[in-house]
Amino acid sequence: MSFLHLEGLTKHFGDFVAVEEVNLTVEKGEFISLLGPSGCGKTTTLQMIAGFVNPTKGKIFIDNQDITELKPSKRNLGIVFQSYALFHHMTIHDNVAFGLEMRNINKAECQERVIETLSLVHLEDFAHRFPRELSGGQQQRVALARALVINPEVLLLDEPLSALDAKIREDMQIELRSIQRRLGTTTILVTHDQSEAMAMSDRIAVMNNGRLAQVDRPHRAYEHPGDNFVSNFLGKSNTFKGQVKDVSDGTARINASGVDFLARNDLFEPGTTVNVSVRPEKIQFCEPGKGQIDGSISTRIFLGNQWVFQVDSDIGEFVVVGQNTGREVVEEGHKVGLNWSEREVRVLPMENQA
Amino acid sequence: MSQQSDTLSTARPYLLSAPALLLYVGVFMIPLIMTFMLSFYTFDITRGGILSGFSLENYTEVLSDSYFHKIFLRTFVLSILVTVFCVLLGTPEAYILHNMSSRWKSICMLAILGPLLVSVVVRTLGWAILIGSDGLINNTLMALGLIDEPIKLMFTMTGLVIALVHVLIPFMVLSVWAALQKLDPMVESAGQSLGASSFTVLRKIVLPQIMPGVLSGSLIVFALTASAFATPSILGGRRLKVVATTAYDEYLGTLNWPLGAAIAVLLLLANILIITSYNKFIERKYAQAFK
Repeated sequence: MSFLHLEGLTKHFGDFVAVEEVNLTVEKGEFISLLGPSGCGKTTTLQMIAGFVNPTKGKIFIDNQDITELKPSKRNLGIVFQSYALFHHMTIHDNVAFGLEMRNINKAECQERVIETLSLVHLEDFAHRFPRELSGGQQQRVALARALVINPEVLLLDEPLSALDAKIREDMQIELRSIQRRLGTTTILVTHDQSEAMAMSDRIAVMNNGRLAQVDRPHRAYEHPGDNFVSNFLGKSNTFKGQVKDVSDGTARINASGVDFLARNDLFEPGTTVNVSVRPEKIQFCEPGKGQIDGSISTRIFLGNQWVFQVDSDIGEFVVVGQNTGREVVEEGHKVGLNWSEREVRVLPMENQA
Repeated sequence: MSQQSDTLSTARPYLLSAPALLLYVGVFMIPLIMTFMLSFYTFDITRGGILSGFSLENYTEVLSDSYFHKIFLRTFVLSILVTVFCVLLGTPEAYILHNMSSRWKSICMLAILGPLLVSVVVRTLGWAILIGSDGLINNTLMALGLIDEPIKLMFTMTGLVIALVHVLIPFMVLSVWAALQKLDPMVESAGQSLGASSFTVLRKIVLPQIMPGVLSGSLIVFALTASAFATPSILGGRRLKVVATTAYDEYLGTLNWPLGAAIAVLLLLANILIITSYNKFIERKYAQAFK
């Protein structure tokens, strides 16, 4: 049986549907991310779990107990807020000790646990400072320590790293993940940053328009997106509209504006209109005429570890990403052939509303 | 050329602030200094009124006469009472207002600030109509048979406190409100998630962080009560004199301007002394909330 269970969780604000029929099960000790663009309902879902927002419909279970009606103060959840929400009039020590004081834990044990948790986040020397005297990254750690010290059933992280600059964010991702592994705390991270979600989670739950679009392990969700939204939200994709011509031996031939794509897929009947997509990093350059399609390089951007090319072709623009191997790369304006393996072509159903 | 523009750029801030500075000196500093000088003059009705010179006579008179002691003490007690009630009522009022939905918030804000648009004299006369022996409150209570004879509110400390709290509470609400606006709305959620009840969150997290607002509000209320004139003179009259009405009476009643000036200067000094020490005390106590 799962540890945290959301059952048909729904929230309407008047006519606005914020969250619709979200069903999700999280195992004990699992790290799961709610990922989606702003306004997709991920934060509302988190707030319902935390108890700050009452669901319109649906139930929340932790360890088989229905907590839907429980007050936030009775849920025993650790929450790290986007703004950290530290108590600025208290020292770091008192901030972390607050949750323990509320639980009437005796002074000696309280002291011990505060110091233990602060050293977990490498802030034991800062116990007597005030939040304002700390850097953003350090404040973030205090917020984490404050949430962890109470041994929460579930740790909820609401965009905890979004206020940090890129370098510290990466370090914190790694650190957060290793602390979570060590403590084994079931964790839900809300984020709009797909690379953050993929880097940290056991599974990611991609949300769109208040619904769960796909729940999967990061690699699987990236390689086998369930729909167009996931395909384009997780990384970049070159997507083209096409029609299935024939299917044989598990390989479909899809015609997109006169160009044939081969794909390892037999889920669609011939004649169906579908989207075909290829990830930018799965495309290689070759001599013109020798690949699947020809094009000319319209722009190239150097990002240090990789190159990003925009290639104009007869059926539209392709984005191609290549590792920087130190060698010279094709110049802008050159004609190139684009080549990819049929294993890398994904076929997705057309969106009804699109 | 460059030298010239340098001089101009150093002079510019002074030039720009000159009009305001002149106004400040003209309408505030000069009268204040003149009042200060006046307080050292003497008054002798037999020798033709105000005589210029330097004498501490007025100060010794005020400081040694128990009549004035009583008035200063009354003013002090009144200011403390009004400030305490404004804090006790205004702080929760601001907090409730802060948590209202935006539509109700603007309606209630208007209700709180509206009275500021009406002259304090008019408002006080309104209170006189309400609380007088033959006023609305007493008549209603008598008609309902709840009391046998009118409650005495006019010319009493109680009536004065009620009216002054009403007049001054908007200042309290506004300054607490400003402090609440600066508070991260998530800290209350954070407190709750850590197991604190709403009341504990209020007491241990919200209140300490809005103390600067409570402080500045109470300073404004205290200073305005201590120097209030219209309300005490209408509701307190000659029976319940405060420092401001006493100074007024000295000026316009007995025409003893120097004594009136000395009273005004002493009120100013007492105000400065009390306010700065209170400020220091609170700032030390809630040091972190002020950073």
